[in-house]
Amino acid sequence: MRRSARHSLDGASPVISLEGTTMQLTLTELDGAINRVALAGRLDAPGADAVGLKFTTAVVSLGRPSIIDLSEVSFVASMGIRMLLSGARGIAQKGGKMVLFGANELVQGVLDDAAIDQLIPIVTTEAQALDALRA
Amino acid sequence: MAHLELAVPNDKQALEQARQSVLTFIEPHRLSPREVYKLELVLEEALMNRLWHAFPDGKVHSTNIVLHLRPRAIEITFDDDGVPFNPLDHAPAAPATSLQEAAPGGLGLALTRRAASQCAYEYVEGRNRFTVVLDRA
Repeated sequence: MRRSARHSLDGASPVISLEGTTMQLTLTELDGAINRVALAGRLDAPGADAVGLKFTTAVVSLGRPSIIDLSEVSFVASMGIRMLLSGARGIAQKGGKMVLFGANELVQGVLDDAAIDQLIPIVTTEAQALDALRA
Repeated sequence: MAHLELAVPNDKQALEQARQSVLTFIEPHRLSPREVYKLELVLEEALMNRLWHAFPDGKVHSTNIVLHLRPRAIEITFDDDGVPFNPLDHAPAAPATSLQEAAPGGLGLALTRRAASQCAYEYVEGRNRFTVVLDRA
């Protein structure tokens, strides 16, 4: 898979620091007009606050099918899950689809407890995410 | 039995400070990653719930937290003078079956109850007291 044009949404550094909590969002455009959004850090309330607007811009405003890389997300709580649901809902309203992949065991456990897999496809690898997106 | 007491203001900035205080406290006790995750989850959800719902008067309040580390369990109590609210009166909502019907409310409480082995609530002398027990692995 060739990747093109890695950039932040505002043309500046995508790294956002918030008093000890660092949450990072990196958007990459893949072939086929697919967005790959890599999240890194804690997706707690401060983390969701820090990247929520950029995340919405990435997956909703651009209206492209999106795969979300959670492999560098160390923690997720309800505010982070709301952010993911909001993005999936917005992209679905535009006829697109969002797939999550790469969650570590503890993050996956919380996503399972919230039954998110009933609403957003969750797979293990990026290849599986792309397959799910095209299914 | 080790224990920690904190007073956390109803201010979003205080969440991270409270988390750091808890992490500093538990560091010598070698909790497993799963125990730490559950503890952080319960802390975040309880404090966010209070931030959103407990203090509609807009004044400064605090949530008093008492954390006990026992050999087989972690017990954390949240005590506040906010609006009376018994979280155990609210049965966890059934999981949504579509993105359109996924409601934003109640998820934090549902995750807390999933993480906990026991929860208890009492309203005493004008104060909510919510206790969560987490089993240790």
